[in-house]
Amino acid sequence: MMKLFIDETRCKGCNICTMVCPYSIFTPGDTPNRRGIYVPVLDRPERCTNCRLTYLYGRQLCGVCSMICPDQAISWIADEPYSARCVVIEY
Amino acid sequence: MTRDDWYRHDRLPHIYCSGCGNGSIINCVLEAVSDIGWNIDETVFISGIGCSSRAPGYIQTDSLHTTHGRAIAFATGVKLANPDLHIVIFTGDGDLGAIGGNHFIHACRRNIDLTVICINNYIYGMTGGQGSPLTPYGKKSTTTPYGACEMPFDLCNLAVAAGANYVSRWTSYHVTELTKAVTAGLLTEGFSFIEVISQCPTSYGRRNSLREVSDQILYLKNNAVLHQRWKRMQEKGEDLSSDQFVVGEFIRQSRPSMGVSR
Repeated sequence: MMKLFIDETRCKGCNICTMVCPYSIFTPGDTPNRRGIYVPVLDRPERCTNCRLTYLYGRQLCGVCSMICPDQAISWIADEPYSARCVVIEY
Repeated sequence: MTRDDWYRHDRLPHIYCSGCGNGSIINCVLEAVSDIGWNIDETVFISGIGCSSRAPGYIQTDSLHTTHGRAIAFATGVKLANPDLHIVIFTGDGDLGAIGGNHFIHACRRNIDLTVICINNYIYGMTGGQGSPLTPYGKKSTTTPYGACEMPFDLCNLAVAAGANYVSRWTSYHVTELTKAVTAGLLTEGFSFIEVISQCPTSYGRRNSLREVSDQILYLKNNAVLHQRWKRMQEKGEDLSSDQFVVGEFIRQSRPSMGVSR
């Protein structure tokens, strides 16, 4: 598995990634970081196509966010597989 | 080898404004170059003066940051001195369209084996947003405060007329198509020219009611007309509106070229 990663030292808060992701994983941030930049936050990043399927297909999939990021801030890092979530059904 | 290996990570983050399209375009070009598998030692990036021309400073390869508008002239010298080198030129609309115009048409005519990436942000961004020869009719800039009263250049049609081997135009929003176009341009023997329309929220967008980066990205997305669709529109006698522009591959041919290593 891979994990989406936003490098906060590079991000300038332009929010282009929030426009291009087909799953809307990036959402505009609401709290400024130490440099006063509103870095986007990740909304359930396990939905990312590349995170889920890159090892299965053996190549880079989608990758539009990383490609369009003007500040080279978005990348993927290796990660442990996501654990299955326990769903509580309320009657 | 991936795109990341081509960056000079000690120089990042770069000095471009927040939301500037130049970073996306560098990503696309480096992706294309690393996909082809060229060697860092055998690739040279050359640029003139301007925002776009700062790009080679963030790339690991040998590079030349030359005088205003003379990037193609320097690149011709490099290519003819050592035809084994792969040469990519980053240049801007003011750099290529205004002061370097004659170098450009004669490089097209000679068909030297170069790849030119022209980042068109419609204005001279680095010096404060003056109007360039590519500022669209009626758009505001520092030197055209009531709207540009002159018609702009169409660099792609100019390159086709002057005899370039590969010409295409994309925007900084169309990253996948742009990467494919740059790959095709790099692999074409002879002069290949790729014009990339880019957003400039700091100097162009805020004077033309496109204050947010997202407004300008949507502008690029909605006003791009594919070359094939434009052909169909011409057959029907329809015309482009003043905001629309044609994107796509304009020409791909194999005229005899110069400076190709045998």
